Amino acid sequence: MSKRNIIIALQSLCLCLAIFMVSGCSGGGSGKSEDAVKIWHWMTDRQEAFEKLANDYYKLTGVKVIFETYAPTDVYKNKITAAASGHLLPDIYNPQSDKKELASYINAGYIADLTDEMNTGWKDVFFEKSLIANSFEENNEWGVKPGIYGVPLDVSSLMIYYNKDLFAQAGLDPENPPKTWPEFIEAGKKLREAGIQPFVSGFGEAWLIGAFAASYQWSLFGKQGIIDTIDGKIPYNDQRWLKIFKLFEEMKDNKMFASGIVTMVNKDSERTFATGRAAMTFNGSWGVNVYKSMNPSLNYGLMYPPSLPDAPYPLLVFGGDGSSMFVNAESPRKDKAIAFLKWFTEKDQQAYLAKETLNIPSNKESADDLPEILQEFSKSITRTFENLPKLEAWQVTNYININLQSVIIGEKDPVKAVKEIQDEKIRQMKVQK
Amino acid sequence: MMNASPKEKTFNMMFILPALLLFLVFNLYPLLRTIQLSFFQWNGIDKDMVFVGFAQYKHIIFNNPAYWKSMLNAGYITLLCLTLQNGLALLLAILVNRQIKGENIYRVIFFLPPVLSGIVVGLIWKFMYDGNFGILNSWLAAIGFEQFKDFAWLSEIKTALSSVAVVHMWKGFGYGFIILLAGLQTIPNELYEAAEVDGADKWQQFRHITIPSMIPVFTMVTVLTVLGAMQIFDLIYSMTQGGPAGHTDVPITKIYQYMNNGEFGYSTAMAVIFGLVLLIASIFQLYASKKFNK
Repeated sequence: MSKRNIIIALQSLCLCLAIFMVSGCSGGGSGKSEDAVKIWHWMTDRQEAFEKLANDYYKLTGVKVIFETYAPTDVYKNKITAAASGHLLPDIYNPQSDKKELASYINAGYIADLTDEMNTGWKDVFFEKSLIANSFEENNEWGVKPGIYGVPLDVSSLMIYYNKDLFAQAGLDPENPPKTWPEFIEAGKKLREAGIQPFVSGFGEAWLIGAFAASYQWSLFGKQGIIDTIDGKIPYNDQRWLKIFKLFEEMKDNKMFASGIVTMVNKDSERTFATGRAAMTFNGSWGVNVYKSMNPSLNYGLMYPPSLPDAPYPLLVFGGDGSSMFVNAESPRKDKAIAFLKWFTEKDQQAYLAKETLNIPSNKESADDLPEILQEFSKSITRTFENLPKLEAWQVTNYININLQSVIIGEKDPVKAVKEIQDEKIRQMKVQK
Repeated sequence: MMNASPKEKTFNMMFILPALLLFLVFNLYPLLRTIQLSFFQWNGIDKDMVFVGFAQYKHIIFNNPAYWKSMLNAGYITLLCLTLQNGLALLLAILVNRQIKGENIYRVIFFLPPVLSGIVVGLIWKFMYDGNFGILNSWLAAIGFEQFKDFAWLSEIKTALSSVAVVHMWKGFGYGFIILLAGLQTIPNELYEAAEVDGADKWQQFRHITIPSMIPVFTMVTVLTVLGAMQIFDLIYSMTQGGPAGHTDVPITKIYQYMNNGEFGYSTAMAVIFGLVLLIASIFQLYASKKFNK
């Protein structure tokens, strides 16, 4: 074995180790040597507006802020989870999680408590409902210290958009959309008779179908009833749950759903509505910007999900905070990050964001200058779901959403669907015990 | 190598070491860590993991019917791939092997779908299947099948899984085609010439020369097909997300779903079970092919 061969072998070994080490060090996170505040967001369509504001902030303070956007949301979420495990989280981020998981981030020390900062008057600029999702109450079931942990950048809610031209085509009054469930079904029948698909939504995305059903859950059960259901005191085969499933069955029986709705993602649903292939759609306030880009001449109005005449509680809608940001408690630039968020949520910056992205700003003062349609959404923020001290197990929620799909495609009747959900609830309660 | 000196052995080992290191870090460690995680309840965030032993395995086996349904769905796709996809691949490989004109063009055309991104293929086919915009329905309506005008192929229970399987077969048959063609080309021509002299017809030649010679290749294609079809994910993710109502869920989408909901321990237990199922299936196929070879 010659000396030359040994040198070649050693060189090969070193090269491999170098590649390995370099690959292990690459990507993500807030590099320790960097002084810029790094933000990870998931809305790629806002990159330009974010960068413009970051530049303004740099000119004003000399602090560099870098926005990095990653889509789709589940990819962003996975990136956050992996970064948390490796202590590589950026200075500002959103874990894209429900309250239970958010509590885990806080308890693990990945999210800073902003209560003191918020109490200096900062919280007063926000819509009250927008702070609920980021706050924890006294004696919450996850053991999180009560306080405010997130900063809402915008707010959103989900309502029904309707196409005024298609309504007129079907002989319906475009300025007087259906307000009650029977009116809604009647409108659906007329639209179908006119050869128009009445209703579309991204029901292939479980959360959207769940959000639509949840409005009726609030309307029939009220807050305490929902808590009692989570606690197992009210079973899922209760008559009121059966009624919710029957609403979907009624829509199916009256051919209200657009073709392929149960596997339709929201993007496809938005395209279907924007191109006039369906008359109504259940979607969020972000849809205003989407429809503008897809079909600027689309003539539409807004309505609440139709109310049930005999419901004991008011009908609320899914919404509150749109996108919120959390400060990394481990970040050496924590103070800079908070200072930036304070500036970012001031009236002028929020007004700019609202104008550029057509979303509802979280700062109440900026909401007055919004276009009419967004002002309607802005008013609906007061009618969004209330804060709950506990959450249903996601497996049960998933069963609800899947069984709603089953009812829509006619695979199951409502009685069988609610029974299966209750069976899953019992399974999950056993697991929790 | 038997007579290599210890010094030479050490020297040789140095060449293996980098690859071995990479294997240990990127394959063995994640595998062992996955198995370890499957015994803990952990959401990926908490600093403490709770040891639960085999509880998650027990729950998956006895209390998670949706997971086993997803396994059956993957099995259905696999069955279609083993029969239709590989049958088509073999047929085309035999035709191309007959030294027809433009043989290389066919090779390129048939091998194009496998090299395309699964997500892109899924989105294109989803658009083709779409009940509102899809060209498939337009074509069907144009040739007289008006009843399919608004038919949502991916949202109907009867057609959703098969529609996804068709796309998987379309995307995957090129792999089998290339491997089978390579296998056919290794069979010496002399065997066919001798058989012809002995009076064997084409069918007899196929049965007694082609098939026995191709058994190792069939085994490889079968194993690859089973592993590929059972692990289908990107197409499902981009076309149906497991819907309608879980009818196109497969094990990987279930694992992904649980992981996305912060059930890291549980989803790794699902992954271990799934890995074992695939391992058993592969061992069985290898055993069967050896037996058949004898």
